Amino acid sequence: MRRALVIAVPYFWLLALFLVPFLIVLKISLSDTELAIPPYTPTLDLSEGWAGFRAFLAALDLENFTFLTTDDLYWKAYLSSLQIAVVSTFLTLLVGYPIAYGMARADEAWRPTLLMLVILPFWTSFLIRVYSWMGILSQEGYLNQLLVGLGVISEPLTILNTNTAVYIGIVYTYLPFMILPIYATLERMDASLLEAAEDLGCSRLSAFWLVTVPLSKSGIIAGCFLVFIPTIGEFVIPSLLGGSQTLMIGKVLWEEFFSNRDWPVASAVAVILLLILVIPIILFQRNEQRQREAEGK
Amino acid sequence: MKSTLAPLAALAVVATAAGADEVRVYNWSDYIDEALLEKFETETGLELIYDVFDSNEVLETKMLAGGSGYDVVVPSGTFLQRQIAAGAFQPLDFDKLPNSANLWDVIKDRTEQYDPGNAHSINYMWGTTGIAANVAKVAEALGEEGPLNSLALVFEPENMEKLQSCGVHFLDAPAELIPAALKYLGEDPDSHDPDVIAKAEPLLAAVRPYVLKFHSSEYINALANGDICVAIGWSGDVLQARDRAIEADNGVEIVYNAPVEGALMWFDQMAIPADAPNPEGAHTFLNFIMDAQNMADASNYVYFANGNLASQPLLEEDVIGDPAIYPDEATLENLYTTTPYPSKVQRVVTRMWTRIKSGT
Amino acid sequence: MTAPAEFSPWTDPSAKPLIRFTGVTKRFGDFTAIDNVDLDIFEKEFFALLGPSGCGKTTLMRMLAGFEMPTEGLIELDGQDIAPVPPNKRATNMMFQSYALFPHLSLRDNIAFGLHREKMPKDRIAARVDEMLKLVQLEPFASRKPHQISGGQRQRVALARCLAKAPKLLLLDEPLGALDRKLREETQFELMDIQEKTGTTFVIVTHDQEEAMTVASRVAVMDHGRLVQVATPAAIYETPNSTYVADFIGDVNIIEGKAEPGDGIMGIAWAEGQPNLTGASDLTLASGATVFMAIRPEKVRISAEKPEGAANAVAGKVLDIAYLGNISTYHVELPGGQVIKAQTANTDRIARRDFTWEDAVWLSWSATAGVVLER
Repeated sequence: MRRALVIAVPYFWLLALFLVPFLIVLKISLSDTELAIPPYTPTLDLSEGWAGFRAFLAALDLENFTFLTTDDLYWKAYLSSLQIAVVSTFLTLLVGYPIAYGMARADEAWRPTLLMLVILPFWTSFLIRVYSWMGILSQEGYLNQLLVGLGVISEPLTILNTNTAVYIGIVYTYLPFMILPIYATLERMDASLLEAAEDLGCSRLSAFWLVTVPLSKSGIIAGCFLVFIPTIGEFVIPSLLGGSQTLMIGKVLWEEFFSNRDWPVASAVAVILLLILVIPIILFQRNEQRQREAEGK
Repeated sequence: MKSTLAPLAALAVVATAAGADEVRVYNWSDYIDEALLEKFETETGLELIYDVFDSNEVLETKMLAGGSGYDVVVPSGTFLQRQIAAGAFQPLDFDKLPNSANLWDVIKDRTEQYDPGNAHSINYMWGTTGIAANVAKVAEALGEEGPLNSLALVFEPENMEKLQSCGVHFLDAPAELIPAALKYLGEDPDSHDPDVIAKAEPLLAAVRPYVLKFHSSEYINALANGDICVAIGWSGDVLQARDRAIEADNGVEIVYNAPVEGALMWFDQMAIPADAPNPEGAHTFLNFIMDAQNMADASNYVYFANGNLASQPLLEEDVIGDPAIYPDEATLENLYTTTPYPSKVQRVVTRMWTRIKSGT
Repeated sequence: MTAPAEFSPWTDPSAKPLIRFTGVTKRFGDFTAIDNVDLDIFEKEFFALLGPSGCGKTTLMRMLAGFEMPTEGLIELDGQDIAPVPPNKRATNMMFQSYALFPHLSLRDNIAFGLHREKMPKDRIAARVDEMLKLVQLEPFASRKPHQISGGQRQRVALARCLAKAPKLLLLDEPLGALDRKLREETQFELMDIQEKTGTTFVIVTHDQEEAMTVASRVAVMDHGRLVQVATPAAIYETPNSTYVADFIGDVNIIEGKAEPGDGIMGIAWAEGQPNLTGASDLTLASGATVFMAIRPEKVRISAEKPEGAANAVAGKVLDIAYLGNISTYHVELPGGQVIKAQTANTDRIARRDFTWEDAVWLSWSATAGVVLER
């Protein structure tokens, strides 16, 4: 009995926090838009009992999903989001791996401090951190002042409101999600493995590629998914740092919802986004599981 | 960001809605003298909870979702009209609004097209959509002859190409930019005909590569700091930017012009949601705002014209005397208004706007 | 012991060593890990570095592997200075204490790892790996990952991986430390067997004196970064050059006294009112200098009566008896309070347990049974 309860609690949360909201969104995606409160029809009216419920079901259709296929905006936005997510995940890996590596190789006494420094930015609001990047990257911002002051450039660079700024923002924001899992795998790694590789004829560099990288693979995969999954649907960073040419599905969804007041189409966009995300999430879970099995747990 | 927080905020508001001694007002950001809020609380003994938004769309979504928990909201005319149609607002009880006698007929006549009989709303502020310019930087890019008071400044690619390096922002508001483009092309700015609307696209697309950003509030700071040199924006916002630059004493000089081709005139209306928890308090707030002195204080602070005739003698000279705020007769003649797009046309407009902005 | 009797290149002045340390010193900051070491190791030797932890034996080995550089002095391999040669270019291979098997590779790939680095053709790699798997009897497990096999098997994979490259010199860092006692003893003999089969020079680091004695052709006993004695296991045991070595290897009684030198004989005044101890010795010491006699317990006879003609005989009383089955150890307290251990083999079933606690007994040993030591 108690055991059943213990198992039931997490499932209940999953049901309440994931499945129910998803079903609501799915239902809206099958509805039609209307100028009313709420701005779609049909709404569920249980006063008419079973017949009312059947009428409600009968009024749902897939029209909004077919609509999404008629305009290239949507798949372009999905593709562009995917592209931005892939590129920024790669960039985050490029920046994050050396940091994680440096931390894992640092003196043991320093590691908690370094770890703290990575986590520290989380203690301030995400929004404030993104806003401060606006201050750094703008035309008259600190970066341009510094570069002009140093004489590196003569004219200020336009970085804010471009895709470059979006990449900077994403890499900055999600860096800890990349660093922490990689650090965890690197820190566990036995340093004598690298000596063994060198002893067996590897140069430092090839030891890194043949031993360090494969052994941190699970951390790299975990980190990449942790960055990739939220980046696809990212809205705040492209809105604040991106320019008008930054096309992302999060923004399209916003426009469907707010500008067109078309909740059903917005919901359809969200449902498809979720389906796209389910694939990497499943792969991620599988990686985690394989990792646990490999460690014999 | 607001979109993600809005449902939570709404939830919090509903959860704590405590009834008769609280009035919850949802207004545009940077849109009131905060001293007035304190004055309201001392005068009426009601507790005022004041939240802000920066886009009509965010407000509209809350109105259409229902249960926003607000007692007074401030949509613009075209949005108001649609929300009234959706049943989002309750008719006002003018017995409780004795100060409504202060309202200005000139404005009431124009707002009637959005709110028939002015039954659901009162005018708070009105203004024009026009062109902001950093005088020195535009002169540097285009020479002294730069047409600061013409839409040619922002709709002619050769001008925009030169302005690109110093930065141009457009409002992220298709309902403002498309009518302006149509006006520049000599078309009816209030056209709801998709074929006419489509004519705006090539014009906007041609200058779009030189637009740094489409955004509806960032330009205030960007202008004041000198980050950008030209913006299409709302009159009062630009004048706020001008004053911030003067305060900062950073050598940035901003001017606002309603374009000679004709400017869009817009109205921000105060209304009471149908499901307002405290309609009584809401009426008290509206009556307070329509007091001549209070309205004058508000305008003197935010540099927007108001729809309150009785307040005009109390306005400062740099407000009532500034044609950028209170246009002269000739300019007033030249102002136009727009009505909301039907939802089919709205989708065409949004799609076109996305295409223009993203360059796809 | 393990090596054939005639294998003793260190006694041949014309033999060229495989490895030569000349005046090698290694410092880490203020700490001197290796202090002016001179050492020759010869081809096909099974050489053990023995000492307590922190004595510098691992540092000495890591200098051979190339992971540490000497602060001073010269290390030569085949007459070549190896200081400028990085670890991956040295003709040495090392077996790590943790085995350092690559967890992401199968046993086969682990063993092949070093061969791939040499750009050896694929078919030759495969043949060599098979040969190695056969040598360590792990053929059936070739495709398993390291975490899927036992500790003893891992140890053998690590050994096979080092041997696969056919190094001139194989370094083993506490190779048996992680194994339980029984497995360790078996593996010791396997190691010796493999060393003999492959003819590779082995240098092993260990803190276990029994292990060193069992496997090595020569043992270097280290203390505080210095080599205290380098000799065959038998020589280390029978003729230690210091009380440190005598004490480190096996069980020993050490009696301190004043020297009374004679001709080929050292008299030791060890307690007032007692006759001097005598031991055969070539030491030239001033009369009255401090001197030690080290005597192994199994070389001390115990008897009820004073034995006739014994070079050394002291009286005492039995303090304690440890019966170990095959042998018994008596702890006998001498008049000065010192306790001496004497061992007797229990050759009869009815053991010679004619002594019991508090019995007065005599201990005796010959002049050549003990070793006279200066320090």
